[in-house]
Amino acid sequence: MTDKDFDLTRRSFIDRVMMATAGAGMAAAAPWAVSAASAAGADPVKTNPVRLGVIGTGDRGRTLIQNIAKTRNCTVVSICDTYAPNLAKARQWVGPTTRSFSDHRAMLDAGGIDAVVIATPLNMHARHTFDAFDAGLHVWCEKAMARTIADCGAMVARSKTANRVLQIGHQRMFHPTYLNALMRAKAGEIGSLTQIRASWHRNNAWRRAVPADATDRQINWRLYRDSSAGLMTELATHQLQVGNWFFDAAPTRVIGSGSICFWKDGREVYDHVALIYEYAGGRKLIYTSLLNNARYGCEEQIQGSKGTIEPELGRIYQEVPAKVLALQRMQKDVARGHKRTVPIGGATWFPELPVTTPGESLGWGEYDETMLQFEGFGAAVRAGKPLPGLLRQAYQASVASLLGEQAMDRGEAMTWPTNLVAI
Amino acid sequence: MSIAAQVERFVAMGTRVELHVFGGGFADALVAARRAIEDVDDALTIHRPSPTTAVNEGMLAGREVAIDDPVLIEALIAIEAVHALTDGLFDPAVDNRFGGAGWADVVFDPRTARIAATRPLALDFGGFGKGFALDRACAVLRDAGIVCACLSAGESSLAVIGEHPLGGGWPFAIPHPLVGDAVLVELELVDEALSISTTVGAGTHAPERAAMIRPSDGAIVTAARCAVAIDRSGGRAEALSTALLVADDDCARRLLGGGPARRFLYDLSQEAAPTVDVARMHAA
Repeated sequence: MTDKDFDLTRRSFIDRVMMATAGAGMAAAAPWAVSAASAAGADPVKTNPVRLGVIGTGDRGRTLIQNIAKTRNCTVVSICDTYAPNLAKARQWVGPTTRSFSDHRAMLDAGGIDAVVIATPLNMHARHTFDAFDAGLHVWCEKAMARTIADCGAMVARSKTANRVLQIGHQRMFHPTYLNALMRAKAGEIGSLTQIRASWHRNNAWRRAVPADATDRQINWRLYRDSSAGLMTELATHQLQVGNWFFDAAPTRVIGSGSICFWKDGREVYDHVALIYEYAGGRKLIYTSLLNNARYGCEEQIQGSKGTIEPELGRIYQEVPAKVLALQRMQKDVARGHKRTVPIGGATWFPELPVTTPGESLGWGEYDETMLQFEGFGAAVRAGKPLPGLLRQAYQASVASLLGEQAMDRGEAMTWPTNLVAI
Repeated sequence: MSIAAQVERFVAMGTRVELHVFGGGFADALVAARRAIEDVDDALTIHRPSPTTAVNEGMLAGREVAIDDPVLIEALIAIEAVHALTDGLFDPAVDNRFGGAGWADVVFDPRTARIAATRPLALDFGGFGKGFALDRACAVLRDAGIVCACLSAGESSLAVIGEHPLGGGWPFAIPHPLVGDAVLVELELVDEALSISTTVGAGTHAPERAAMIRPSDGAIVTAARCAVAIDRSGGRAEALSTALLVADDDCARRLLGGGPARRFLYDLSQEAAPTVDVARMHAA
């Protein structure tokens, strides 16, 4: 892609975000996106970018580095990883002057950065966040926030006392398709939302090959309980955020069942989870994730009395059926004074099965929304104020994922905590 | 000058319904007609709790049931008539779960609005309900002064009020269910209802579709057939097309003879088929 093409795509992407966030009620429903798109829409020039130090340069960290490179207001000046091969792979994506560290404290002590980007195993997020705040830095951290609900709350509290921005990576919150979907839901196009069915189904072990110089717990940290809640924190968090966002509420209670049902390979986290999150008014989010069947993939089916939105597929489906074409033609004929035989009749028409109903396109962003997340973060760091509303969404999504883990572990319903940190 | 049309499009009776009214200015009547169809759906459905499911529960338990739903009472009165009209071939009580049980085992007293059955059975208004619903919607539209309208319930049940907006009958062509672009029959309707029943073609394999059962022996009708019936009443038209579909040859001849040029039965078992095929019709 040429620079000119890139600029055009960027412009079109930002325009679509701005168009979606201009809808009725969207300023309150997605204020972070309004702020980020406004900042990005001003086309900042990369003269004084926010200097970032990236802690964790595994697969996800390197993806983030590539997205940061597309921004107009952020640049990576330092990278850090305890595993040397990750650091070496990341070097191809950064400039020659970018410094490398094997210890995050050394990176913080070396200075020259405005903020850190944390893409380390989940159980390290809180510690790395606290250290960055103590060093006077702002923090962008991958979701989920932390391994425990208490640590999630502590991260929020510490950001307030340190007066530093804490932003959590939930890219769907910046995605034009999701924003457009929310705008259309807010406009009443799918009626009253009562249920969301969300799933993230894969058919693989979720296990990576372990090099000779590493340990399984180091590479496959997502499979061990001390470092991750598995499917709940690594996948479900995204979709629980979507559920809370569309319902405009946090859950009141969750019940669930989890098991290691298929991959009996020594992992400690569930490879099958099924949960029901209850919301006020009898609304529900039904969530499943598993690792041995990919047929239904990753999707949120947002179900209302007048229609359904499936944002991952980018489709909106109306409950009102399509018109009978023959009768439509008859009406047009009559309007122009023409009488023609109406071909109609046969077996009773039944509603199509949902999997074959084409629906209507919501539009699809070609640009990676992760770029906009970082432009929003850059703007927040420069302003010394977080993007509005984002941390609350992230905090509630992380708490929901960890509460779901507790419900499955204990085999009992867990009510929404009343002692969460106020945002 | 073009003729204004108003359309009400919605889901009811498990399918899509379209009400096209010509002449303009009848928005309230359209809403009332829709409500009339939804009332029939609410009264006759067996897919959610309804007056009919309450009756069924009682009859399955061997109890006499008092009916207080006027739509259901009206439907049962109409059922008595069409059961007789079709020589018992249209039977809302036939169900192969209950052996030889049928409408003959139902004791319905319209004066007291009480119903009972001499053996366990349940009612299913499929093969009648959509036409009956169109009758009620037509009545509402006529009462509102509408003289030109076309109503469709699932495309297998149609009803027209008056003549075509441009004069003369409403011309319809019934597509061949198995042969693309071929037509079984072309018909003109004025103040009439049309019903098509078929065992073949698109839609017959939909999971919600109930099997066609012959009341005389409880067998599921699998022969490739298509029946068309026209009548002043949508409920009667639908019951007649259902009856034709399950009728043996003698019964079919009798039914076809009762409505020349208004009832048709097509044997599609040899298909590679013709257009406007009168020759394949079992005429009386």
